[in-house]
Amino acid sequence: MKEEIISLIAEVLEIPKDTINEKTNLIKDLDVESLDLVDLVAAFEEKYNIEILDKDIKNLQTVNDIIKYIESKNV
Amino acid sequence: MYKLYLEKNITSKDLLEKILKENNIHDRIIYNEYGKPYLKNNAIYFNISHSGIYTALVIADTEVGIDIEKIQMPKNALLHVCTEEERKLINNAEDFTLMWVKKESYVKYLGIGISYGLKNVDTIKIKDFIIKKVGNYYVSIYGKNLK
Repeated sequence: MKEEIISLIAEVLEIPKDTINEKTNLIKDLDVESLDLVDLVAAFEEKYNIEILDKDIKNLQTVNDIIKYIESKNV
Repeated sequence: MYKLYLEKNITSKDLLEKILKENNIHDRIIYNEYGKPYLKNNAIYFNISHSGIYTALVIADTEVGIDIEKIQMPKNALLHVCTEEERKLINNAEDFTLMWVKKESYVKYLGIGISYGLKNVDTIKIKDFIIKKVGNYYVSIYGKNLK
């Protein structure tokens, strides 16, 4: 799951996979802007067939936050 | 009343400091619970957005939101961002970006941001967006009775 999520983040943001780890903060470390963040959220929704509410996006700051959030959806 | 400042290669913080200084405004910045910035002691509203090389700042005498975005069609976001009715109106990157900046400027006007829910902003029903196109970028400003 962890590797899969990191691969998807790298693919959507078009950055090398080895620049991302669990502690990476999307906004502070990768300068991800809101449209890229929403594009990423939409990619997770499609891949895992889940719904991510816009009000939850502010809590998805690090890669670890994303992993925990997706796991909490019982994927 | 509103005034738009659009500059290249400057951070949001630096542009805000520069424009406040130019307008002789010396004040503290405070934030609402969603992170929208306000001036503490002045009845002047502002909002800032950044995309690519541009930073856009709007100053107004009423609540205001702004968004700037480089024209693009992201791979996945369409279904998440737009309602079914809106999706029928999107044929290319220009259409998508225009809809995106409208939604963003509206949720920033509200002071809530994306947490409000992007699909809850019906860009077909909501009018009065002020739209500007600068090169490869769209800017949207939203506020009540802005002129």
